[in-house]
Amino acid sequence: MTTIAIEHLARVEGHGGITVELEGDAVANVRFDVFEGARLLEPLIRGKRYDEVAPILSRICAICSVAHSLTSLKATESAFGVRVSPQTELLRELLYRGESIESHALHLFLLAVPDYLNYPSATALAADKPAAVLLGLRLKKLGNQIQEAIGGRAVHPVNAVPGGFGRVPTLDQLIALRGSLMQGRTDADAVIDLVASLPAADFCHSDTVYAALRSPNLDRYYGGDEVMVVSNRSRAIVRAADYRELTNEKAVPHSHAKHSTFGGNPFMVGALARLTVNPRRLTGRLAVAMKRLKLLLPADNPMDNNKAQALELIDDLDRALESIEQLLRAGLKDERPMPVHPRAGTGTAITEAPRGLLIHSYTYDDEGRVTAADVVTPTALNAASLELHLRRAVEQCAERDEAVISKRLQMIARAYDPCISCSVHLVRKR
Amino acid sequence: MSKPTVGIFGLTGCAGDQLVILNCEDRLLDIVALIDIRDFLMASSENDEGCPLDIALVEGAVLSRRDADKLRAIRQRSKILVALGTCAVWGGVAAMDRGKDRARLLEEVYGEIGLTYDSSPAQALHEVVKVDLGIAGCPIEKEHFIAAVAALLNGDTPLYPEYPVCTECRMRENNCLLIERGELCCGPITAGGCEARCPELRVPCVGCRGPAGDTNVPSFVAMLEQKGFDRQQLAARLRTFAPEGVAQ
Repeated sequence: MTTIAIEHLARVEGHGGITVELEGDAVANVRFDVFEGARLLEPLIRGKRYDEVAPILSRICAICSVAHSLTSLKATESAFGVRVSPQTELLRELLYRGESIESHALHLFLLAVPDYLNYPSATALAADKPAAVLLGLRLKKLGNQIQEAIGGRAVHPVNAVPGGFGRVPTLDQLIALRGSLMQGRTDADAVIDLVASLPAADFCHSDTVYAALRSPNLDRYYGGDEVMVVSNRSRAIVRAADYRELTNEKAVPHSHAKHSTFGGNPFMVGALARLTVNPRRLTGRLAVAMKRLKLLLPADNPMDNNKAQALELIDDLDRALESIEQLLRAGLKDERPMPVHPRAGTGTAITEAPRGLLIHSYTYDDEGRVTAADVVTPTALNAASLELHLRRAVEQCAERDEAVISKRLQMIARAYDPCISCSVHLVRKR
Repeated sequence: MSKPTVGIFGLTGCAGDQLVILNCEDRLLDIVALIDIRDFLMASSENDEGCPLDIALVEGAVLSRRDADKLRAIRQRSKILVALGTCAVWGGVAAMDRGKDRARLLEEVYGEIGLTYDSSPAQALHEVVKVDLGIAGCPIEKEHFIAAVAALLNGDTPLYPEYPVCTECRMRENNCLLIERGELCCGPITAGGCEARCPELRVPCVGCRGPAGDTNVPSFVAMLEQKGFDRQQLAARLRTFAPEGVAQ
């Protein structure tokens, strides 16, 4: 038996590795190993009051801290029957877009693109091709500006609280953001030019099942509570309250992340899944860009997730601008958070984090203290699908050259944009 | 003069402090030009995992034997070891209630297989190795990181506020959430340096920067008790980001 081991997966968030065991030419075993320590935040949060939950659970992951924070608030508000104002909904959606812009720009330009151009890092790439890296940094900064203005901080937002926002951003802040976004939009063509110019990454083909939030307006990350699971053969809807149908998880020895399947099949979440489930997003400028990227949906190549992120990145700029225009048209009000009256019950929220479906589900007692908490993250949901695609890549690689296989495996793992800190958080044993 | 060699590492945590480094978008390429980053797994796939380092920046807490071994190896190859962020400096959220029965929690979350995982109660870096400088914050402030790089490059160490969040909150002329609105704000006992970010937004301080120097915690607790807060729940809240008994 030959073993190919990537001990430390680089240019991803967190600590993981890949192990492939070959018997002759056949692939005996493929594992995505997670070495991240178990922080056990879900059991530790029991007994905490409802207002402590989002600030603690946002610490699950920095890159998705807005998603964790807002999904947490949505679950808590759902448990207590709190309805936030339309202005709060719009501001939260805008905050989500900010995180998505930052996260996609970071992943595409600083983590993924260096692979295609054979550089070990974005700083090495910057020495030869500064324009590509500076483009990424500009967009990343723009995403952070949105998170700072609306969330109060770029990492671990503080301003979103149960019922609304501590302090609504000022008119001046929104107008400044609008200016930055209009400037940022001028970079959209450069994003598509760059991604379209990358060498094709054509080494893993597989029928793939995709799962994403089906949002009422087809363009929301934060709204909606129905998940659609799409395969070549079927479509299924899972409602938030039934999320456990998606997290048919089992603990495995090599990883602190559990594996999820739906109807026995691994499924992929994230940008590519979102576009596949909500194809009506792909009109106008996005449809043109999609053609330029030669992206066909449903895709059978997980590397296409990078193209999907590029499309979302330019879409996010437009949607963030739209949210600001709507806020300005409606007239910005200095609202206080809606009153929150704790009651016993369970609340579940599903949203689209930059890397895909994120689920928080809490049960509270009548004083508003947590009695049970469940967090299911996109990277945990993706783990089984990633292993399947890693296996296909090895099977489809004609050469048995370890360096070639290793590079392909790393590129696939990175295309999933894994967030390994997140992946260790999972549902309780049943 | 040759550029100082630098390694940037993460133990168990959220990668937020490394992300803050990458968030120095306008300064990033300038900083990279001044130092020689040899080992930075989150940003590069070409790392020298054994070379001596002038400066090691380490984020996250120690939550496993693997983390502890990694930290000791980093210590051994580094002249200056900097603890980056509240997890590294104080233990952070994973150290919350760290006295609890860990085996039981592991089993509850993962089932029996959890008992085989390499997992230990969260520790701050200084509980395992000698730490030369701590930069607290969850995450760290961008400016504090840049100040640290500037100072260390010049053979100096940066100074960070030890006064509480209240000092900065008062400077910003905010209404007091604790006294005027009766909200549980940890500002009086939490280290400043964040410019009172949360109270500025009318959100009570949760203590994410860890304890301020020279605070009178018993008096703070007594005052909160007078305001009707339950002592036990109060204690748990104050230990969210920094467990008791971790102070150097």
